[in-house]
Amino acid sequence: MGIKVVPRYGKSLKDKLYLPAIFGGMKTTFSHFTKNLKDVNQLKTMQYPEVQPTDLNERYRGVHRLTKWEDETEKCVACYMCATACPADCIFIEAEERFDEHDEKRPKEFKIDLLECVFCGYCVEACPCDAIRMDTGIFSFTASTREEFVLDKKALMANDRSKDLSDD
Amino acid sequence: MSSAIVIAVNIALAAFLAVGLTPVFVWWERRVSGFMQDRTGPNRCNIGPIRLGGLIQSFADMLKLMFKEDFTPSHIKYRFFFTIAPVIVFFCSFLTFATIPFADNLVIDGQSFIMSAIPNELGIMWFLAFAGLSIYGIILGGYSSNSKYGLLGSIRAAAQVISYEAALALAIISMLLSYGSIHLTDIVNAQTGTFLGVIPMWGIFIQPIASIIFIVCCFAETNRAPFDIAEGESEIVAGYHTEYSAMRFGLFQVGEYAAMSASAAIIVTLVFGGYQIPWLDTAAVQNNLDYIMIAMIVILPIKAYFITAWMKKNNKSKDVNDKSRDTETKILSIAFWALSLIVALLLATFLIFGLGENGVNIITAVLQIGTFLVKFFMMAFVFIWIRWTVLRFRYDQLQMLGWKILLPLALLNIVVTATFIVVQGS
Repeated sequence: MGIKVVPRYGKSLKDKLYLPAIFGGMKTTFSHFTKNLKDVNQLKTMQYPEVQPTDLNERYRGVHRLTKWEDETEKCVACYMCATACPADCIFIEAEERFDEHDEKRPKEFKIDLLECVFCGYCVEACPCDAIRMDTGIFSFTASTREEFVLDKKALMANDRSKDLSDD
Repeated sequence: MSSAIVIAVNIALAAFLAVGLTPVFVWWERRVSGFMQDRTGPNRCNIGPIRLGGLIQSFADMLKLMFKEDFTPSHIKYRFFFTIAPVIVFFCSFLTFATIPFADNLVIDGQSFIMSAIPNELGIMWFLAFAGLSIYGIILGGYSSNSKYGLLGSIRAAAQVISYEAALALAIISMLLSYGSIHLTDIVNAQTGTFLGVIPMWGIFIQPIASIIFIVCCFAETNRAPFDIAEGESEIVAGYHTEYSAMRFGLFQVGEYAAMSASAAIIVTLVFGGYQIPWLDTAAVQNNLDYIMIAMIVILPIKAYFITAWMKKNNKSKDVNDKSRDTETKILSIAFWALSLIVALLLATFLIFGLGENGVNIITAVLQIGTFLVKFFMMAFVFIWIRWTVLRFRYDQLQMLGWKILLPLALLNIVVTATFIVVQGS
Protein backbone atom coordinates (compact mmCIF):
# COMPACT_ATOMS: atom_id res chain seq x y z
CA MET A 1 0.00 0.00 0.00
CA GLY A 2 1.41 3.33 -1.05
CA ILE A 3 1.28 6.51 0.93
CA LYS A 4 -1.16 9.11 -0.34
CA VAL A 5 0.27 12.59 0.03
CA VAL A 6 -2.52 15.05 0.71
CA PRO A 7 -1.73 18.42 -0.85
CA ARG A 8 -1.64 21.28 1.64
CA TYR A 9 -3.00 24.63 0.57
CA GLY A 10 -2.69 28.06 2.12
CA LYS A 11 1.08 28.60 1.92
CA SER A 12 1.29 30.45 -1.39
CA LEU A 13 1.11 34.22 -1.55
CA LYS A 14 -2.18 34.09 -3.45
CA ASP A 15 -3.76 31.98 -0.69
CA LYS A 16 -2.35 34.18 2.05
CA LEU A 17 -3.78 37.31 0.48
CA TYR A 18 -7.31 35.94 1.06
CA LEU A 19 -8.75 38.48 -1.37
CA PRO A 20 -8.50 36.43 -4.61
CA ALA A 21 -10.37 33.56 -2.95
CA ILE A 22 -12.97 35.94 -1.54
CA PHE A 23 -13.53 37.51 -4.95
CA GLY A 24 -13.81 34.04 -6.47
CA GLY A 25 -16.50 33.15 -3.97
CA MET A 26 -18.30 36.43 -4.54
CA LYS A 27 -18.33 35.75 -8.25
CA THR A 28 -20.00 32.39 -7.67
CA THR A 29 -22.71 33.72 -5.37
CA PHE A 30 -23.35 36.69 -7.63
CA SER A 31 -23.79 34.47 -10.68
CA HIS A 32 -26.40 32.48 -8.74
CA PHE A 33 -28.07 35.72 -7.64
CA THR A 34 -28.34 37.20 -11.13
CA LYS A 35 -29.47 33.91 -12.65
CA ASN A 36 -32.28 33.60 -10.14
CA LEU A 37 -33.20 37.28 -10.24
CA LYS A 38 -33.56 37.19 -14.02
CA ASP A 39 -35.88 34.22 -13.91
CA VAL A 40 -37.47 33.39 -10.57
CA ASN A 41 -38.82 30.12 -11.97
CA GLN A 42 -35.32 28.65 -11.95
CA LEU A 43 -35.39 28.49 -8.16
CA LYS A 44 -35.29 25.01 -6.74
CA THR A 45 -37.92 25.78 -4.09
CA MET A 46 -41.23 24.02 -4.67
CA GLN A 47 -44.05 26.51 -4.19
CA TYR A 48 -46.20 24.31 -1.94
CA PRO A 49 -49.26 24.30 -1.72
CA GLU A 50 -49.73 25.56 -5.29
CA VAL A 51 -47.30 22.90 -6.49
CA GLN A 52 -47.78 19.45 -4.99
CA PRO A 53 -45.01 16.88 -4.75
CA THR A 54 -45.06 14.33 -7.57
CA ASP A 55 -42.39 11.95 -6.30
CA LEU A 56 -44.51 9.81 -3.97
CA ASN A 57 -43.66 6.15 -4.46
CA GLU A 58 -45.06 2.76 -3.56
CA ARG A 59 -43.26 2.67 -0.22
CA TYR A 60 -44.48 6.05 0.96
CA ARG A 61 -46.64 5.68 4.08
CA GLY A 62 -49.55 8.10 3.95
CA VAL A 63 -52.89 8.10 5.79
CA HIS A 64 -54.41 4.62 6.08
CA ARG A 65 -57.28 3.19 4.12
CA LEU A 66 -59.38 0.07 4.46
CA THR A 67 -59.46 -1.98 1.28
CA LYS A 68 -62.74 -3.19 -0.15
CA TRP A 69 -64.19 -6.15 -2.05
CA GLU A 70 -65.79 -5.51 -5.43
CA ASP A 71 -69.19 -5.01 -3.73
CA GLU A 72 -67.80 -2.11 -1.69
CA THR A 73 -67.74 -4.04 1.61
CA GLU A 74 -64.66 -4.14 3.79
CA LYS A 75 -62.05 -6.89 3.54
CA CYS A 76 -61.27 -6.50 7.25
CA VAL A 77 -62.19 -9.49 9.39
CA ALA A 78 -61.63 -7.72 12.75
CA CYS A 79 -58.84 -10.09 13.82
CA TYR A 80 -57.16 -7.36 15.93
CA MET A 81 -53.72 -8.17 14.46
CA CYS A 82 -53.11 -4.56 13.49
CA ALA A 83 -54.25 -3.21 16.85
CA THR A 84 -51.92 -5.71 18.55
CA ALA A 85 -48.97 -4.80 16.35
CA CYS A 86 -49.52 -1.08 16.74
CA PRO A 87 -46.72 0.41 18.86
CA ALA A 88 -48.67 3.62 19.40
CA ASP A 89 -51.95 1.95 20.44
CA CYS A 90 -53.89 4.13 18.08
CA ILE A 91 -56.18 1.54 16.45
CA PHE A 92 -59.53 0.84 18.10
CA ILE A 93 -61.66 -2.01 16.69
CA GLU A 94 -65.11 -3.16 17.71
CA ALA A 95 -66.05 -6.47 16.10
CA GLU A 96 -69.45 -7.84 15.12
CA GLU A 97 -70.81 -10.88 13.35
CA ARG A 98 -70.96 -10.84 9.56
CA PHE A 99 -73.62 -12.54 7.50
CA ASP A 100 -72.55 -12.16 3.84
CA GLU A 101 -70.56 -14.59 1.65
CA HIS A 102 -67.12 -13.04 2.45
CA ASP A 103 -66.53 -13.78 6.11
CA GLU A 104 -68.11 -14.41 9.46
CA LYS A 105 -66.66 -11.42 11.32
CA ARG A 106 -66.40 -7.72 10.50
CA PRO A 107 -65.45 -4.54 12.34
CA LYS A 108 -68.48 -2.65 13.58
CA GLU A 109 -66.24 0.30 14.13
CA PHE A 110 -62.62 0.80 13.12
CA LYS A 111 -60.92 3.94 14.44
CA ILE A 112 -57.40 5.26 13.94
CA ASP A 113 -56.24 8.21 15.99
CA LEU A 114 -53.87 10.04 13.64
CA LEU A 115 -52.53 12.19 16.45
CA GLU A 116 -51.22 9.03 18.15
CA CYS A 117 -50.21 7.23 14.96
CA VAL A 118 -46.47 7.21 14.19
CA PHE A 119 -46.96 6.01 10.60
CA CYS A 120 -44.66 3.03 11.13
CA GLY A 121 -46.64 0.75 8.84
CA TYR A 122 -46.68 -2.24 11.25
CA CYS A 123 -50.48 -2.52 10.92
CA VAL A 124 -50.07 -3.01 7.17
CA GLU A 125 -47.39 -5.66 7.77
CA ALA A 126 -49.50 -7.43 10.37
CA CYS A 127 -52.73 -7.63 8.38
CA PRO A 128 -53.35 -11.20 7.12
CA CYS A 129 -56.10 -10.10 4.70
CA ASP A 130 -54.48 -7.10 2.99
CA ALA A 131 -57.34 -5.11 4.50
CA ILE A 132 -55.40 -2.07 5.67
CA ARG A 133 -53.01 -0.15 3.50
CA MET A 134 -51.12 3.16 3.65
CA ASP A 135 -50.93 3.88 -0.07
CA THR A 136 -53.31 6.86 -0.18
CA GLY A 137 -50.46 9.30 -0.70
CA ILE A 138 -52.05 11.74 1.78
CA PHE A 139 -49.01 13.26 3.45
CA SER A 140 -50.58 16.20 5.21
CA PHE A 141 -53.76 15.61 7.15
CA THR A 142 -55.11 18.74 8.78
CA ALA A 143 -58.01 19.40 11.10
CA SER A 144 -59.02 22.02 13.61
CA THR A 145 -60.07 19.85 16.56
CA ARG A 146 -58.59 16.76 18.19
CA GLU A 147 -61.75 14.76 17.51
CA GLU A 148 -61.47 15.29 13.77
CA PHE A 149 -58.11 13.52 13.77
CA VAL A 150 -59.76 10.24 14.79
CA LEU A 151 -60.72 8.58 11.52
CA ASP A 152 -63.65 6.16 11.68
CA LYS A 153 -64.43 3.24 9.42
CA LYS A 154 -66.42 5.34 6.99
CA ALA A 155 -63.61 7.82 6.51
CA LEU A 156 -60.98 5.08 6.19
CA MET A 157 -63.05 3.26 3.58
CA ALA A 158 -63.61 6.49 1.67
CA ASN A 159 -59.86 6.85 1.14
CA ASP A 160 -58.61 5.53 -2.16
CA ARG A 161 -55.29 4.45 -3.52
CA SER A 162 -53.24 7.45 -4.63
CA LYS A 163 -53.74 8.40 -8.26
CA ASP A 164 -49.99 9.01 -8.57
CA LEU A 165 -49.29 5.34 -8.02
CA SER A 166 -49.70 2.71 -10.69
CA ASP A 167 -52.72 0.39 -10.44
CA ASP A 168 -51.82 -3.02 -9.09
CA MET B 1 -37.38 79.59 6.50
CA SER B 2 -35.28 77.87 3.86
CA SER B 3 -32.66 76.96 6.46
CA ALA B 4 -35.29 75.19 8.58
CA ILE B 5 -36.46 73.20 5.56
CA VAL B 6 -32.93 72.17 4.57
CA ILE B 7 -32.07 71.09 8.12
CA ALA B 8 -35.37 69.19 8.45
CA VAL B 9 -34.78 67.42 5.13
CA ASN B 10 -31.27 66.43 6.20
CA ILE B 11 -32.39 65.08 9.55
CA ALA B 12 -35.28 63.20 7.95
CA LEU B 13 -32.93 61.72 5.37
CA ALA B 14 -30.42 60.61 8.01
CA ALA B 15 -33.15 59.11 10.20
CA PHE B 16 -34.65 57.32 7.21
CA LEU B 17 -31.33 55.93 6.00
CA ALA B 18 -30.16 54.87 9.46
CA VAL B 19 -33.34 53.46 10.99
CA GLY B 20 -36.15 53.50 8.44
CA LEU B 21 -34.30 51.21 6.08
CA THR B 22 -34.01 48.37 8.60
CA PRO B 23 -37.08 46.50 7.27
CA VAL B 24 -35.75 46.92 3.73
CA PHE B 25 -32.35 45.58 4.69
CA VAL B 26 -33.85 42.65 6.57
CA TRP B 27 -35.86 41.94 3.45
CA TRP B 28 -32.76 42.22 1.24
CA GLU B 29 -30.79 40.04 3.59
CA ARG B 30 -33.34 37.24 3.37
CA ARG B 31 -34.19 37.52 -0.31
CA VAL B 32 -30.62 38.02 -1.53
CA SER B 33 -29.33 35.15 0.56
CA GLY B 34 -32.20 33.06 -0.77
CA PHE B 35 -31.38 33.82 -4.37
CA MET B 36 -27.69 33.20 -3.77
CA GLN B 37 -28.52 29.75 -2.44
CA ASP B 38 -31.21 28.97 -5.04
CA ARG B 39 -34.03 29.43 -2.52
CA THR B 40 -36.86 31.97 -2.65
CA GLY B 41 -36.85 33.61 0.77
CA PRO B 42 -40.04 35.13 2.20
CA ASN B 43 -42.54 35.86 -0.58
CA ARG B 44 -45.98 35.12 0.83
CA CYS B 45 -46.86 37.89 3.27
CA ASN B 46 -49.29 40.35 1.73
CA ILE B 47 -51.73 43.17 2.31
CA GLY B 48 -54.49 42.47 -0.18
CA PRO B 49 -52.70 41.86 -3.46
CA ILE B 50 -49.63 43.89 -2.47
CA ARG B 51 -46.60 41.76 -1.60
CA LEU B 52 -43.75 43.96 -2.85
CA GLY B 53 -41.70 40.83 -3.37
CA GLY B 54 -41.89 39.89 0.32
CA LEU B 55 -41.15 43.30 1.84
CA ILE B 56 -44.40 43.11 3.80
CA GLN B 57 -42.90 40.20 5.77
CA SER B 58 -40.40 42.57 7.40
CA PHE B 59 -43.18 44.85 8.59
CA ALA B 60 -45.13 41.87 9.91
CA ASP B 61 -42.06 40.72 11.84
CA MET B 62 -41.56 44.23 13.19
CA LEU B 63 -45.18 44.41 14.37
CA LYS B 64 -44.78 41.04 16.03
CA LEU B 65 -41.69 42.21 17.93
CA MET B 66 -43.51 45.34 19.04
CA PHE B 67 -46.56 43.57 20.42
CA LYS B 68 -44.64 40.75 22.07
CA GLU B 69 -44.43 40.70 25.85
CA ASP B 70 -41.45 42.72 27.06
CA PHE B 71 -39.99 39.98 29.18
CA THR B 72 -37.12 40.35 31.65
CA PRO B 73 -35.66 37.10 33.01
CA SER B 74 -35.80 36.89 36.81
CA HIS B 75 -32.05 36.31 37.21
CA ILE B 76 -31.19 39.78 35.93
CA LYS B 77 -29.98 41.94 38.81
CA TYR B 78 -29.59 45.32 37.16
CA ARG B 79 -32.65 45.91 35.07
CA PHE B 80 -31.65 49.47 34.31
CA PHE B 81 -28.46 48.43 32.51
CA PHE B 82 -30.24 45.53 30.88
CA THR B 83 -32.83 47.93 29.46
CA ILE B 84 -30.46 50.71 28.49
CA ALA B 85 -27.97 48.49 26.61
CA PRO B 86 -29.98 48.10 23.39
CA VAL B 87 -30.83 51.79 23.53
CA ILE B 88 -27.11 52.66 23.56
CA VAL B 89 -26.46 50.42 20.56
CA PHE B 90 -29.42 51.88 18.74
CA PHE B 91 -28.59 55.53 19.39
CA CYS B 92 -24.88 55.25 18.69
CA SER B 93 -25.47 53.52 15.39
CA PHE B 94 -28.11 56.11 14.58
CA LEU B 95 -25.90 59.07 15.49
CA THR B 96 -23.00 57.71 13.43
CA PHE B 97 -25.01 58.80 10.42
CA ALA B 98 -25.20 62.40 11.57
CA THR B 99 -22.15 63.83 9.84
CA ILE B 100 -22.37 61.97 6.54
CA PRO B 101 -22.80 64.57 3.76
CA PHE B 102 -25.59 63.70 1.33
CA ALA B 103 -24.64 66.43 -1.15
CA ASP B 104 -22.19 69.25 -1.67
CA ASN B 105 -22.72 72.44 0.33
CA LEU B 106 -26.08 73.81 -0.76
CA VAL B 107 -26.17 77.54 -1.45
CA ILE B 108 -29.63 79.15 -1.14
CA ASP B 109 -29.87 82.94 -1.36
CA GLY B 110 -26.16 83.24 -0.68
CA GLN B 111 -26.41 81.14 2.47
CA SER B 112 -24.40 77.92 2.50
CA PHE B 113 -25.65 74.76 4.20
CA ILE B 114 -23.69 71.66 5.07
CA MET B 115 -25.86 68.80 3.83
CA SER B 116 -25.64 66.49 6.84
CA ALA B 117 -27.99 65.87 9.74
CA ILE B 118 -25.80 67.63 12.30
CA PRO B 119 -23.99 70.34 10.37
CA ASN B 120 -20.57 70.36 12.00
CA GLU B 121 -17.05 69.91 10.75
CA LEU B 122 -15.99 67.10 13.07
CA GLY B 123 -16.64 64.66 10.28
CA ILE B 124 -14.64 61.50 10.62
CA MET B 125 -13.94 62.10 14.34
CA TRP B 126 -17.67 61.94 15.03
CA PHE B 127 -17.87 58.64 13.15
CA LEU B 128 -14.94 57.15 15.10
CA ALA B 129 -16.39 58.31 18.42
CA PHE B 130 -19.84 56.87 17.94
CA ALA B 131 -18.79 53.73 16.10
CA GLY B 132 -16.52 53.00 19.07
CA LEU B 133 -19.22 53.86 21.58
CA SER B 134 -21.83 51.47 20.20
CA ILE B 135 -19.71 48.54 21.40
CA TYR B 136 -20.40 49.69 24.97
CA GLY B 137 -24.05 48.84 24.44
CA ILE B 138 -23.10 45.34 23.34
CA ILE B 139 -20.72 44.87 26.29
CA LEU B 140 -23.28 46.22 28.75
CA GLY B 141 -26.04 44.07 27.26
CA GLY B 142 -23.97 40.90 27.51
CA TYR B 143 -22.65 41.74 30.98
CA SER B 144 -26.00 42.67 32.54
CA SER B 145 -27.66 39.58 31.03
CA ASN B 146 -26.02 37.60 33.85
CA SER B 147 -25.62 34.65 31.52
CA LYS B 148 -22.44 32.96 30.35
CA TYR B 149 -23.43 33.11 26.70
CA GLY B 150 -24.19 36.80 26.85
CA LEU B 151 -20.96 37.53 28.68
CA LEU B 152 -18.86 35.43 26.29
CA GLY B 153 -20.49 37.09 23.30
CA SER B 154 -19.83 40.56 24.61
CA ILE B 155 -16.23 39.72 25.54
CA ARG B 156 -15.63 38.45 22.05
CA ALA B 157 -17.24 41.53 20.52
CA ALA B 158 -15.11 43.80 22.71
CA ALA B 159 -11.88 41.97 21.85
CA GLN B 160 -12.69 42.09 18.17
CA VAL B 161 -13.56 45.77 18.12
CA ILE B 162 -10.44 46.71 20.08
CA SER B 163 -8.25 44.81 17.62
CA TYR B 164 -9.85 46.23 14.53
CA GLU B 165 -10.41 49.78 15.68
CA ALA B 166 -6.64 50.30 15.84
CA ALA B 167 -6.19 49.28 12.21
CA LEU B 168 -9.31 51.23 11.24
CA ALA B 169 -8.06 54.47 12.77
CA LEU B 170 -4.59 54.03 11.26
CA ALA B 171 -6.09 53.43 7.82
CA ILE B 172 -8.15 56.59 8.24
CA ILE B 173 -5.01 58.55 9.22
CA SER B 174 -3.28 57.73 5.95
CA MET B 175 -6.44 58.74 4.08
CA LEU B 176 -6.61 62.01 5.99
CA LEU B 177 -2.99 62.66 4.97
CA SER B 178 -4.05 62.40 1.33
CA TYR B 179 -7.27 64.38 1.64
CA GLY B 180 -5.92 67.02 4.05
CA SER B 181 -9.11 67.49 6.07
CA ILE B 182 -11.31 65.73 8.62
CA HIS B 183 -14.46 67.41 7.36
CA LEU B 184 -16.32 64.87 5.25
CA THR B 185 -17.56 67.37 2.65
CA ASP B 186 -13.96 68.44 2.06
CA ILE B 187 -12.94 64.79 1.86
CA VAL B 188 -15.55 64.08 -0.83
CA ASN B 189 -14.61 67.22 -2.73
CA ALA B 190 -10.97 66.07 -2.63
CA GLN B 191 -12.11 63.02 -4.59
CA THR B 192 -13.23 64.98 -7.66
CA GLY B 193 -11.40 64.82 -10.93
CA THR B 194 -9.87 61.87 -12.74
CA PHE B 195 -6.58 60.11 -13.33
CA LEU B 196 -5.66 60.31 -17.03
CA GLY B 197 -9.21 61.44 -17.74
CA VAL B 198 -10.67 57.95 -17.28
CA ILE B 199 -10.43 56.65 -13.74
CA PRO B 200 -12.41 58.73 -11.24
CA MET B 201 -10.14 59.99 -8.45
CA TRP B 202 -11.81 58.06 -5.67
CA GLY B 203 -10.26 57.01 -2.40
CA ILE B 204 -9.90 53.44 -3.55
CA PHE B 205 -7.61 54.59 -6.36
CA ILE B 206 -5.76 57.22 -4.30
CA GLN B 207 -5.23 54.96 -1.28
CA PRO B 208 -5.91 51.35 -2.33
CA ILE B 209 -4.31 49.65 0.68
CA ALA B 210 -5.84 51.99 3.23
CA SER B 211 -9.20 51.58 1.49
CA ILE B 212 -9.11 47.80 1.68
CA ILE B 213 -8.03 47.87 5.34
CA PHE B 214 -10.75 50.40 6.06
CA ILE B 215 -13.47 48.32 4.37
CA VAL B 216 -12.35 45.13 6.15
CA CYS B 217 -12.31 46.92 9.52
CA CYS B 218 -15.74 48.40 8.87
CA PHE B 219 -17.06 44.88 8.40
CA ALA B 220 -15.52 43.98 11.74
CA GLU B 221 -16.98 47.13 13.37
CA THR B 222 -20.50 46.12 12.39
CA ASN B 223 -20.10 42.62 13.83
CA ARG B 224 -21.27 41.06 10.61
CA ALA B 225 -19.98 37.96 8.87
CA PRO B 226 -17.14 37.10 8.29
CA PHE B 227 -16.42 38.80 11.62
CA ASP B 228 -19.55 37.76 13.52
CA ILE B 229 -17.90 35.93 16.38
CA ALA B 230 -20.00 37.96 18.83
CA GLU B 231 -22.80 35.62 17.84
CA GLY B 232 -22.59 31.95 17.03
CA GLU B 233 -25.41 29.47 17.37
CA SER B 234 -23.20 26.45 17.79
CA GLU B 235 -20.92 28.00 20.39
CA ILE B 236 -22.63 30.69 22.44
CA VAL B 237 -26.27 30.57 21.33
CA ALA B 238 -27.12 34.11 20.19
CA GLY B 239 -24.18 35.81 21.90
CA TYR B 240 -24.76 39.13 23.60
CA HIS B 241 -28.52 39.23 22.97
CA THR B 242 -29.29 35.71 24.20
CA GLU B 243 -31.48 36.95 27.07
CA TYR B 244 -33.27 39.60 25.07
CA SER B 245 -36.67 39.36 23.50
CA ALA B 246 -39.44 41.53 22.06
CA MET B 247 -38.61 45.12 21.18
CA ARG B 248 -35.36 45.17 23.18
CA PHE B 249 -34.09 42.48 20.86
CA GLY B 250 -35.67 44.48 18.04
CA LEU B 251 -33.62 47.51 19.05
CA PHE B 252 -30.45 45.42 18.92
CA GLN B 253 -31.41 44.29 15.46
CA VAL B 254 -32.25 47.79 14.29
CA GLY B 255 -28.94 48.95 15.78
CA GLU B 256 -27.12 46.23 13.85
CA TYR B 257 -28.64 47.31 10.56
CA ALA B 258 -28.18 50.99 11.41
CA ALA B 259 -24.49 50.21 12.00
CA MET B 260 -24.43 48.51 8.61
CA SER B 261 -26.04 51.56 7.00
CA ALA B 262 -23.61 53.90 8.72
CA SER B 263 -20.63 51.79 7.69
CA ALA B 264 -21.86 51.61 4.11
CA ALA B 265 -22.33 55.38 4.08
CA ILE B 266 -18.90 56.12 5.54
CA ILE B 267 -17.25 53.67 3.13
CA VAL B 268 -18.99 55.37 0.22
CA THR B 269 -17.97 58.79 1.53
CA LEU B 270 -14.32 57.99 2.19
CA VAL B 271 -13.56 55.44 -0.50
CA PHE B 272 -16.05 55.64 -3.37
CA GLY B 273 -16.32 59.37 -3.89
CA GLY B 274 -19.38 60.04 -1.73
CA TYR B 275 -22.04 62.08 -3.48
CA GLN B 276 -19.82 62.79 -6.50
CA ILE B 277 -21.35 61.73 -9.79
CA PRO B 278 -18.46 59.92 -11.55
CA TRP B 279 -16.59 62.21 -13.96
CA LEU B 280 -18.80 65.20 -13.02
CA ASP B 281 -17.93 67.51 -10.13
CA THR B 282 -20.41 69.96 -8.63
CA ALA B 283 -19.53 72.84 -10.94
CA ALA B 284 -19.74 70.61 -14.01
CA VAL B 285 -23.18 69.37 -12.92
CA GLN B 286 -24.41 72.94 -12.42
CA ASN B 287 -23.11 74.05 -15.83
CA ASN B 288 -24.49 71.07 -17.74
CA LEU B 289 -27.74 70.64 -15.81
CA ASP B 290 -29.89 70.88 -18.97
CA TYR B 291 -28.12 67.93 -20.63
CA ILE B 292 -28.34 65.86 -17.46
CA MET B 293 -32.06 66.56 -17.22
CA ILE B 294 -32.59 65.59 -20.86
CA ALA B 295 -30.64 62.37 -20.23
CA MET B 296 -32.81 61.63 -17.21
CA ILE B 297 -36.04 62.25 -19.16
CA VAL B 298 -34.83 59.67 -21.69
CA ILE B 299 -33.57 57.16 -19.15
CA LEU B 300 -36.54 57.15 -16.74
CA PRO B 301 -39.14 55.55 -19.08
CA ILE B 302 -36.56 52.96 -20.18
CA LYS B 303 -35.99 52.02 -16.55
CA ALA B 304 -39.73 51.87 -15.89
CA TYR B 305 -40.11 49.65 -18.96
CA PHE B 306 -37.47 47.19 -17.75
CA ILE B 307 -38.87 47.04 -14.22
CA THR B 308 -42.42 46.42 -15.42
CA ALA B 309 -41.25 43.83 -17.95
CA TRP B 310 -39.33 42.04 -15.21
CA MET B 311 -42.39 42.06 -12.95
CA LYS B 312 -44.64 40.76 -15.71
CA LYS B 313 -42.27 37.87 -16.28
CA ASN B 314 -41.50 36.94 -12.68
CA ASN B 315 -44.44 38.01 -10.54
CA LYS B 316 -46.65 35.02 -11.21
CA SER B 317 -48.36 32.56 -8.97
CA LYS B 318 -48.02 28.86 -9.63
CA ASP B 319 -51.74 28.55 -9.01
CA VAL B 320 -53.56 29.41 -12.25
CA ASN B 321 -56.67 30.55 -10.36
CA ASP B 322 -54.74 33.00 -8.22
CA LYS B 323 -54.98 36.38 -9.89
CA SER B 324 -53.71 38.47 -6.95
CA ARG B 325 -50.15 38.66 -8.26
CA ASP B 326 -51.34 39.78 -11.67
CA THR B 327 -53.33 42.51 -9.93
CA GLU B 328 -50.23 43.52 -8.01
CA THR B 329 -48.19 43.64 -11.20
CA LYS B 330 -50.82 45.91 -12.75
CA ILE B 331 -50.94 48.25 -9.74
CA LEU B 332 -47.15 48.49 -9.46
CA SER B 333 -46.71 48.94 -13.22
CA ILE B 334 -49.12 51.88 -13.14
CA ALA B 335 -47.31 53.28 -10.10
CA PHE B 336 -43.87 53.01 -11.73
CA TRP B 337 -45.01 54.51 -15.03
CA ALA B 338 -46.84 57.32 -13.26
CA LEU B 339 -43.81 58.08 -11.10
CA SER B 340 -41.40 58.16 -14.02
CA LEU B 341 -43.79 60.25 -16.12
CA ILE B 342 -44.36 62.76 -13.29
CA VAL B 343 -40.62 63.16 -12.74
CA ALA B 344 -40.02 63.44 -16.48
CA LEU B 345 -42.76 66.07 -16.80
CA LEU B 346 -41.36 67.98 -13.84
CA LEU B 347 -37.91 67.97 -15.43
CA ALA B 348 -39.41 69.01 -18.76
CA THR B 349 -41.11 72.03 -17.17
CA PHE B 350 -37.82 72.94 -15.53
CA LEU B 351 -36.15 72.70 -18.94
CA ILE B 352 -38.77 74.84 -20.67
CA PHE B 353 -39.20 77.57 -18.06
CA GLY B 354 -35.62 77.57 -16.85
CA LEU B 355 -34.38 77.54 -13.28
CA GLY B 356 -33.17 80.33 -11.07
CA GLU B 357 -29.82 80.08 -9.35
CA ASN B 358 -31.44 78.53 -6.28
CA GLY B 359 -33.26 76.05 -8.49
CA VAL B 360 -30.03 74.93 -10.17
CA ASN B 361 -28.39 74.47 -6.79
CA ILE B 362 -31.33 72.49 -5.40
CA ILE B 363 -31.57 70.21 -8.46
CA THR B 364 -27.81 69.61 -8.24
CA ALA B 365 -28.18 68.71 -4.57
CA VAL B 366 -31.06 66.32 -5.37
CA LEU B 367 -28.98 64.68 -8.10
CA GLN B 368 -26.07 64.28 -5.71
CA ILE B 369 -28.32 62.82 -3.02
CA GLY B 370 -29.55 60.37 -5.65
CA THR B 371 -25.99 59.43 -6.56
CA PHE B 372 -25.13 59.00 -2.90
CA LEU B 373 -28.16 56.78 -2.42
CA VAL B 374 -27.26 54.60 -5.41
CA LYS B 375 -23.71 54.12 -4.12
CA PHE B 376 -25.02 53.60 -0.60
CA PHE B 377 -27.44 50.88 -1.64
CA MET B 378 -24.78 49.18 -3.72
CA MET B 379 -22.44 49.17 -0.73
CA ALA B 380 -25.21 47.81 1.51
CA PHE B 381 -25.71 45.07 -1.07
CA VAL B 382 -21.99 44.32 -0.90
CA PHE B 383 -22.32 43.95 2.88
CA ILE B 384 -25.07 41.38 2.41
CA TRP B 385 -23.25 39.74 -0.49
CA ILE B 386 -20.07 39.30 1.58
CA ARG B 387 -22.04 37.91 4.49
CA TRP B 388 -23.51 35.13 2.39
CA THR B 389 -20.26 34.33 0.60
CA VAL B 390 -17.39 34.36 3.05
CA LEU B 391 -16.93 31.87 5.86
CA ARG B 392 -16.60 32.99 9.46
CA PHE B 393 -13.16 33.55 10.91
CA ARG B 394 -12.13 31.48 13.89
CA TYR B 395 -11.29 33.60 16.91
CA ASP B 396 -7.49 33.20 16.68
CA GLN B 397 -7.51 33.72 12.91
CA LEU B 398 -9.45 36.90 13.44
CA GLN B 399 -6.96 38.29 15.95
CA MET B 400 -4.08 37.13 13.74
CA LEU B 401 -5.48 39.03 10.79
CA GLY B 402 -6.14 42.15 12.82
CA TRP B 403 -2.86 42.46 14.72
CA LYS B 404 -0.34 40.75 12.47
CA ILE B 405 -1.51 41.80 9.02
CA LEU B 406 -3.84 44.79 9.00
CA LEU B 407 -2.12 46.81 11.73
CA PRO B 408 1.46 46.61 10.34
CA LEU B 409 0.11 47.17 6.84
CA ALA B 410 -1.75 50.30 7.98
CA LEU B 411 1.37 51.62 9.76
CA LEU B 412 3.51 50.97 6.68
CA ASN B 413 0.92 52.71 4.56
CA ILE B 414 1.07 55.80 6.78
CA VAL B 415 4.87 55.95 6.43
CA VAL B 416 4.72 55.54 2.65
CA THR B 417 1.93 58.13 2.29
CA ALA B 418 3.67 60.64 4.55
CA THR B 419 6.97 60.21 2.72
CA PHE B 420 5.25 60.63 -0.62
CA ILE B 421 3.48 63.79 0.50
CA VAL B 422 6.62 65.32 2.00
CA VAL B 423 8.69 64.51 -1.09
CA GLN B 424 5.99 65.85 -3.39
CA GLY B 425 5.86 68.95 -1.22
CA SER B 426 2.13 69.53 -1.33
